[in-house]
Amino acid sequence: MFDLFKNSKRLTPLPPKPKDELPHAKLGVSYKDWHNGHVNKHKWRNKRWAVLILINGLFILSFALDLSLLEGSLSGSRLLGFYLMDPYNALQTILIAITQGHFPNLTMNFWIGLVTIFMFYTLVGGRTFCSWICPYHFISENLEKLHDYLVKKRKIKEHTYNQSLRYVFWVGFLILAVLTQQLVFEDLNFVGITSRALIYGPGLILFWIIFIMIFEIVYSKRFWCRYVCPVGATYGMIGSISPVTIKFELDKCGYCTDCQDVCLVPHELWFVKRGKATQEVHFTGNDCTKCGLCVDICAGEALTYTIKGLDKLG
Amino acid sequence: MSKKTTDLDRRQFFKTGAIALGSLAIVGAGATYLKSNKKNEIPATNFLRPPGAIDENIFVAECIKCGLCVQICPIQAIKLADIDTGLDYGTPYIDVRNQACDFSCDSLQCVETCPTAVLDFQQFKRVGEEAIEKYDEEMKGKQMSKDYNPFRVQIVAMKEQVKMGMAKLNQGTCLAFQGKGFEGIAREENFKGINRSPYTNDRKATPVTDKKYKEEICDICVKECPIGEKAIVMEETKDASGNIVKRPKVLDGCTGCGVCVMVCPTEEPSIIVEPVKA
Repeated sequence: MFDLFKNSKRLTPLPPKPKDELPHAKLGVSYKDWHNGHVNKHKWRNKRWAVLILINGLFILSFALDLSLLEGSLSGSRLLGFYLMDPYNALQTILIAITQGHFPNLTMNFWIGLVTIFMFYTLVGGRTFCSWICPYHFISENLEKLHDYLVKKRKIKEHTYNQSLRYVFWVGFLILAVLTQQLVFEDLNFVGITSRALIYGPGLILFWIIFIMIFEIVYSKRFWCRYVCPVGATYGMIGSISPVTIKFELDKCGYCTDCQDVCLVPHELWFVKRGKATQEVHFTGNDCTKCGLCVDICAGEALTYTIKGLDKLG
Repeated sequence: MSKKTTDLDRRQFFKTGAIALGSLAIVGAGATYLKSNKKNEIPATNFLRPPGAIDENIFVAECIKCGLCVQICPIQAIKLADIDTGLDYGTPYIDVRNQACDFSCDSLQCVETCPTAVLDFQQFKRVGEEAIEKYDEEMKGKQMSKDYNPFRVQIVAMKEQVKMGMAKLNQGTCLAFQGKGFEGIAREENFKGINRSPYTNDRKATPVTDKKYKEEICDICVKECPIGEKAIVMEETKDASGNIVKRPKVLDGCTGCGVCVMVCPTEEPSIIVEPVKA
C-alpha cells in the first residue's frame, strides 16, 4: 500500500535459473553440502537482542535506580532529557485533542518527541522498531518456536490472514479514539503494556497479553504483530520512505526458502521462491522489520542489509 | 499471481476484515460502557490525580500513560493504575494514605514533565512568575543582598496553586476532637511512607516512622502540613461545656496533598481528602 517497490511484483517474472547457474553448481558442490555447509552464527540476531535488552534494560534501570538516562516507557519517554513519543499513540492524542479543544495545550516537548521519532525511524527503516526495540517481539519471537513445533508435530493447523488487516485496525482504532474520546488502543497496546509491566511492575492487565500469547501459540503464528498491531503499521508507513532495507540478489540464491521460514513477514520475501523474482535485485518492503534472521540464515549470502542509494556507490 | 488466488485473497480479506470491524465495534462499545459507568466514581476519596490535573474527562483521554510523572517524583508518590484500581488503566494516581505528595521536590516537576499537558504546568508557571514580580518589587534595591531568593517565593506560590482535593475531618474519630493527645509514632512500624516535615530544616523527605510525637492534644496533621497555616490550623473554640479547646480546622488554602491523611495516627484516617471534581 505504501511501498514504493511493490510494483516490481507485477512485472513478468524472470525465468527460473537453470541448474548449472545455482550457487552450489558454481562452486562445484552438491546442493546438500552447500546448504548444510552454512553455519548460522546468529550474528544479527545476537546484535539485535543485545540492543533490545539494552534499551529495555535502560528503561528498567532508569526507574529502579532513579537515573535520568531513559525515563518513561515506550508510549512516551525521555532520553537524556530529549522527549520521544510513540507515533500511533501521539496520533490518537492529537485527534482527541483537536475534538476536545486541548490541542493548543500539547507541549513543545510532545512535538519534539514526535518529530524526533519520525525522523529517526525514517532513517533506520520504520518497523526496525518492532524487532530491535519492542519487548513483545522478543517474547513472541521465542514463543513462536513452540508454535512451530506444534505445527510440525501436526497437533495444530497454521492459520494465516491477509496482512492488510492491520490497516483496518489502524483506521479503526483511530476512529474509536475519537468516538469514545479515550485512548482505547492504549488499553490493548502490547508495546505499552509490556513496556510498563517491565518498568513499573506487572499487573492484572498482563492476562490480556497472556490470552493473545496462547492464541498465537495454538492458532495463528505472530497474530498480533502480523495482523493487528497499529503501532507496527505506523512504523511501517514511516519506513516506506526509509533507505535502510534488506537487499536480495537473485544470482546468489539457491531457492531453499529457509529465509521465508524464519521471517516474521514472509510475504515481504515473495521473490525468493523459484520463478517468482522479476528482477536481479529486490528490496524488502515496509512490512519488513529488518530483524536480520533471513540475513543470518541465507546459505548463499543473497540477503544483506543495505542502504538504498548508497549500495550503488560501493 | 492467478486470478483465482487473487479472488480468494480478496474474499478472505473481506471476511477477516468483517471480523476485525466486529471486534473493533465490541472494543468501542465496551470502552463506552466502562466510561459511562465509571464517570461518577473517579477519582475516589484518598485516590487523587497528580498536581495540575485537568478535567477528568480530558485527563483520561489525553494521558498517554508514559509514566514520566511516576519516574520523576522523588518520593514515588505517583503510581500507574492497574485495571483493578477502578481508575483507567495506566493513568497516574496518588494513594495519599500510603504515600502522599509532600512537595519536597520543590518544583512540581511531575507537572512540568507531562508531554500532553494533562498535568497543566502553565498555571503554575504563571503564578510563579507573578510571585517573583511581586517579590522583586518588594526587594527593590536589595537584589544584591544575601537574602534575595526569588525561587523560594516562586515555589511557595506554585505549591499553593495546587488543588488536588480538599481535606475533610472526621470529628467522630479525630483524637483532638475527643480531647486526646498522642504519643509515639503515627503509623505502624513497617509503614514505608515518607514526608518532609516543615518544622525541620531537612531538604529531603524522611520516613514517617522516624518521627516520634508527644502531643498533649493530637495536632500531627497541622504540624506536618507542607502548606501551613493557610491550609490547616489548630483553632481555639469552646466545647459544649464552655471550656476552651484546640481543634484542627481545614481552611480554603488546602491543596489536597494528603500528607495529613498519611500521618493521621488513627487506624482509619480521621482526615480524608476528597478529590476536586473539575
